[in-house]
Amino acid sequence: MTRSLLGLGVLALASMALALALGSVNVAPADLWQVIQGEGSTLHRTLLLDLRLPRTLAAFGTGGLLAVAGALMQVLLRNPLADPYVLGLSGGAAVGALLAMLAGMGTLIISGSAFAGAMLATVLVFGLAHGTGSWTPSRLLLTGVVVAAGWGAVITLMLAITPSYKLPGMLYWLMGDVSYARSPWPAVVVLAVSVVLIMPLARNLNVLARGPMQAAALGVAVRPLEWTIYVVASLLTATAVTTAGSIGFVGLIVPHMLRLILGNDQRIILPASALAGGTLLVLADTLARTVIAPEQLPVGVITALLGVPTFLYLLHRSR
Amino acid sequence: MTALNARDLIINVPGRLDSSPLNMSIEPGQVWGVLGPNGAGKTTLLHTLAGLLPARSGQVKLNDTPIKALKRRDIAKQLGLVFQERQDSFPATVMETALIGRHPWLSPWAGEQGEDQHRAEQALATLDVHHLSGRLLNTLSGGERQRVAIATLMTQNPNIWLLDEPTNHLDLHHQVKVMSLLRDQACAGKTVFMCLHDLNLAARWCTHVLLLYTNGEACWGPVENMLVPEALERLYDQRLITLQSNGLTVFVPAP
Amino acid sequence: MVSCWLNFRFALGFLIAILVHPISASEMQRCAEDDTGKKLCLSAAAQRIITLSPGATELVFAAGAGDKVIAVVNYSDYPPAALTLPSVGSHTRVDMEALMALQPDLVVTWVTGNPPAQVELLQELGISTFAIEPRTFEGVSSVIERLSTLAGTEAEGFAEAERFRSGIATLTAQYRDVDPVPVFYQVWEKPLMTVNNEHLIGKVLKLCGGVNVFGDMQRLIPRISAEVVLQADPDAILTGSVDGISDDQLDEWKKYAGLTAVEKNNLFFVPASPISRPSPRLLDAIQTVCEKLGKARERL
Repeated sequence: MTRSLLGLGVLALASMALALALGSVNVAPADLWQVIQGEGSTLHRTLLLDLRLPRTLAAFGTGGLLAVAGALMQVLLRNPLADPYVLGLSGGAAVGALLAMLAGMGTLIISGSAFAGAMLATVLVFGLAHGTGSWTPSRLLLTGVVVAAGWGAVITLMLAITPSYKLPGMLYWLMGDVSYARSPWPAVVVLAVSVVLIMPLARNLNVLARGPMQAAALGVAVRPLEWTIYVVASLLTATAVTTAGSIGFVGLIVPHMLRLILGNDQRIILPASALAGGTLLVLADTLARTVIAPEQLPVGVITALLGVPTFLYLLHRSR
Repeated sequence: MTALNARDLIINVPGRLDSSPLNMSIEPGQVWGVLGPNGAGKTTLLHTLAGLLPARSGQVKLNDTPIKALKRRDIAKQLGLVFQERQDSFPATVMETALIGRHPWLSPWAGEQGEDQHRAEQALATLDVHHLSGRLLNTLSGGERQRVAIATLMTQNPNIWLLDEPTNHLDLHHQVKVMSLLRDQACAGKTVFMCLHDLNLAARWCTHVLLLYTNGEACWGPVENMLVPEALERLYDQRLITLQSNGLTVFVPAP
Repeated sequence: MVSCWLNFRFALGFLIAILVHPISASEMQRCAEDDTGKKLCLSAAAQRIITLSPGATELVFAAGAGDKVIAVVNYSDYPPAALTLPSVGSHTRVDMEALMALQPDLVVTWVTGNPPAQVELLQELGISTFAIEPRTFEGVSSVIERLSTLAGTEAEGFAEAERFRSGIATLTAQYRDVDPVPVFYQVWEKPLMTVNNEHLIGKVLKLCGGVNVFGDMQRLIPRISAEVVLQADPDAILTGSVDGISDDQLDEWKKYAGLTAVEKNNLFFVPASPISRPSPRLLDAIQTVCEKLGKARERL
């Protein structure tokens, strides 16, 4: 099965290479090669190293974060319909970001505010679900869905009262846009570190998928594991949303697609999700910025357009 | 010697105000059958003995240590469970399911080794499901899934086997096969403790029996002492006819 | 004798200064402060300008630097020459690569219109950016002058700014003593939006003797309900439309026969573009609005 991971790794690198080679400005392969070697014209260097490279890395990091978070949420809630946003994380982040935009803050504060909002949402849902001490996935899910709806209402309110000229900025943040990422490093680093840290827990997750009683009977400390997964998934989602706004679809569909091909072993699904999610978003972002250039499309639309037929095809093939 | 001990144990059945405290020692080599009508608390008892549910009062001891004080992983090396109901939201293959049984024995970074694989294969073969190794669990029949569950327990290979109605969904042939497997395991030094809905299985295969009444009463002991028609009739609120044949005692509901 | 010599020296110095000035002008730093208070200095007149909003496009052309504009964004439709220029995307999503490939030496941005993240990225990449957003008539003149300084087209720019100033002065004088007309300017129908007196449109209304019934509201572009309009009962209702052609945007008000503006048939359309952009075309907008309010006055 490491063959599949290797294959996905190659695919990931290929997609990143493609992203670096393509853009609204044509850069010939010879010029690309020059830049890689450390030479090349200033324009080409700027295009490749200051524009395309950070954007590609940000797209890969964000896509990977969302896909892994989605996989973790699905195991935690034992529900294939779960995605990273189902517990209201993106709602909290959005409220944080929009508040900062309303106050006219700079991009750094907007990002920080988004992250704080996401973490607040995590704590809120966890605290509410904890309630009487019995913390079941369905209780968590229900609490999360209701709180997410609450955030949605707050966002709608904010959009309604904000001065008109601030609206476009807010709407674009809500749609998700990799081009607004200030730096790719938080996303990439958090992704790498998190995947490494949760790999030892992967088999425990396989056991957990059998059910909490069954998992306990097989030696899994269920409550601590569930808390850990929840915190890690929240951190991954918060980082993704802070980097590029709320990009939908990746977190729900990528783990599913991988399960259809690779089975249910979390030891494979988790790293595969990181690679495949990153690849999907890199390809989607490349399309979004080139297909009708200079018009720039929102990347969330492209991920859906790419992901839906792929998923349906895989589903059909697996019958 | 491994033993499971219940000391003044009162299990927590919601709505039941008082029950007899259970005081029993479940030893290696014994095959225990728990009999009782629906709602008597058989499954609750099993889960309590496994340390998965808290008791209302009293103690469960595993090898003379209170089970509450032990880590789940250590418990899982000594004690394994076959549940009556199973969850299937993310189905795995039959082989993967059986291999899960090795989990308590593997360190987080270790993958399954050849020996683990071998154990799983043997267990699957013993339960007649080896030919289904590559199939997804949710494509199997109820009986096949039941046998995979038992194979998982066998792969786990703990000293104490707890089973909740292990013969559910099984055809006659496999019922007999599973019950003799359990008896063989007991003879080899394991401790077997299971809930049964069919008192004839208890009569034929068990060495000890525990009767759980709906009102919380309980009595236990060696099988020959326990299978008294009056007690059984009271247990199931059903008149029985006792039949003897070939040295076997069989109970049949009276018309 | 001495005064003659001094005069001569003064004249000579002046002559030298004049002769020297144009030569070193191109070597002098061109500095201007943008509308966020940031000072931008260019070592030479900008030759490759990209504008990131339709308003900025108009103002750069007004400054006389139209032939130095190499790219615009969507909806840069005035002056007509701008329609032939390539676009680098929309003002909220700029195609950075296309922009960088054109190698501009000055990018004119809109203070509230462009996403801060993209403007910051431009600055990080070493591009000179100049943010504008005039809020007053004088602001329009000033921005034209500042843009022309950066572009080295002071002659045309300052002249245009002065033309605008005197145009405003003339119109102000012309309409100083007219009777006030309570007026409601509808910016958008659904949701219902208007302007306060801080907004340029509010200032246009004021110049023409209109009394904006919502002039004292806090927000620049408040969102209001039909009820408060009915309560304020303006004598005239104005809205912007394409080329000033009547469309259905004011039809809702016709339901309220009791509204003074409806009774007196004082529902007017003005061309949307000139009144909505802070550019020299405001003079045309003012003419139109004053004319309409004049009609309104007659009918009252």
